[in-house]
Amino acid sequence: MSAILEVTDLRKAYAGVHALDGVSFAVEAGSVTGLIGPNGSGKSTAIDCISGFQKLDSGKVVLAGADITGQPAHHNARAGLMRTFQTVRVYERLPLRDNLAIAAQQFDPATWVDELLRTARYRRAVEASEKRARQLIELIGLQRYYEAEVGILSYGQKKLVALAAALMPHPKIVVLDEPVAGVNPSRIREIEVALRQLNEAGETFLIVEHNVEFITNLCHRVIVLDQGRKLAEGTAHDIHNDSRVLEAYLGTTPEIAAAEMRAQA
Amino acid sequence: MKLAVALVAALIFAALPLLTTSNYIMGIGVSALIFTVAAAALNLIYGYTGLLSFAQLGFWGIGGYVSALTVVTFGGNFWWGLVWAALINAAVALVVGYPTLRTNRHAFVIVTLTFALLVNLIARDWVDLTRGALGIPNLPPPTAFGYEFGTTGRFYWIAWAFSVAMLAFLYALCTSRIGRTLVAIKQNEPLVRAQGISPMPYKLSAFAISAAITGAAGGVFSFHLRIIDPLFLDFYYMQTFLIIVIIGGAGSFWGVVVAGIAMSALPEALRFSADFRMIIYGLILVVAMFVMPSGVAGWLRERRLARLRQELQ
Repeated sequence: MSAILEVTDLRKAYAGVHALDGVSFAVEAGSVTGLIGPNGSGKSTAIDCISGFQKLDSGKVVLAGADITGQPAHHNARAGLMRTFQTVRVYERLPLRDNLAIAAQQFDPATWVDELLRTARYRRAVEASEKRARQLIELIGLQRYYEAEVGILSYGQKKLVALAAALMPHPKIVVLDEPVAGVNPSRIREIEVALRQLNEAGETFLIVEHNVEFITNLCHRVIVLDQGRKLAEGTAHDIHNDSRVLEAYLGTTPEIAAAEMRAQA
Repeated sequence: MKLAVALVAALIFAALPLLTTSNYIMGIGVSALIFTVAAAALNLIYGYTGLLSFAQLGFWGIGGYVSALTVVTFGGNFWWGLVWAALINAAVALVVGYPTLRTNRHAFVIVTLTFALLVNLIARDWVDLTRGALGIPNLPPPTAFGYEFGTTGRFYWIAWAFSVAMLAFLYALCTSRIGRTLVAIKQNEPLVRAQGISPMPYKLSAFAISAAITGAAGGVFSFHLRIIDPLFLDFYYMQTFLIIVIIGGAGSFWGVVVAGIAMSALPEALRFSADFRMIIYGLILVVAMFVMPSGVAGWLRERRLARLRQELQ
């Protein structure tokens, strides 16, 4: 396996606070990689900088061999990096079909002239986009809402729409910013299943998430950030047994935690 | 279906000079057609793209002056006047829009408002070019192939053809993928960027197209009035365009077109009461906004959504 996304020595400071203080990691093609850490550890800043929504102070981002450091967000999307947002972002007042179609339209070769003249190229592009949309909608189970405005869906359903939209143009990597935060527990399982299926079909994911169980179930590799630095990296199992991680999260060591648990029991 | 209705409506409007000989009624017809075009252009930038532009008034004024000056000062004809009005406005919109669209939406409102006031000042104070407060009277009627559009009835055809052409163009634009992208930019700009679309070229083009059409509309209207002076930049026009867009429903193509015709006719229909007509007009606006805060089209849409929700329950 080779790295599809490689970030080196990311640094970013806000008014003297080091949100990112030299973070490096890589995401293997075809993997699910988790990025976790306590609040304020720099996870969100990291993916905002990688996707081009914020400017890095220094560091390097390489996507599939191409240096995309400092490029604007729309450039990185076209290069194959699609992302979702922590607070769900969809086009509330457009139908589900348009939500998905817009996500793919930059990636097909049809121009506005093609559209005006309804050329074969335009028709093929629309057909392909429609086909992909139907597949993804089936996967997320929202077939009956295809023509409905996304605004009428629940928060969890909107998260699924955002996920489907990110997958529309066959991206090289999908960065998910808290895909299950604020989603009701029964639906978390659905999202997990959908992501696993997609990964088995070859999609690569980088997931920022607080839900440890979700991350443990899904991720091949987990990277832990704390105070802008990489604290640990390894399989979910390694991370669970890493005393530094527990200390960062719980503010205690396993020994103390175990003692406290015994005391409570 | 909508298109069929629109076609029939367009033909009925075309027949107006055959149905009446009243210059008064045909004059209202010209205003209604031209205001509808200007409002549809405002709808493109405000309703679709979400950028409230007061610069429309400036474009309207520049368009009026450019076409008048093309004929009176530079020896061109009316048709070239319209072309220049559109081109110069598009260029001005690019120059004003490029830095302004980089700021936020609020700053955009302020800058466009300032721009409109600035155009007004230029019209008043650049006396060598615009003849200041005196204005440019006696604009000659347009001619084509030796035919002179010298009466209101004849000029009405120009206004009609212009409006139908511009509305058809705007309709094609708004219902295309470009129009859909503009709506997406209005609804969620960061998401648009995350999907590989750079919003700037879209916003800038929408602003320039809106400016060009508004300018040409101003050109036609100045030749309808046969005079242009700084009153052509009265805020009354901006207010009319804005009322049409808001009552019709910002972001709805047909809502704005229907409201354009209705709201241009309404103040005239109220002339039965000379003393109270503007008060009644104001009351109608206030009540309309209470009942339908997002315009007629918005109100219809809410009802459709409510039905849909019920079906999906």
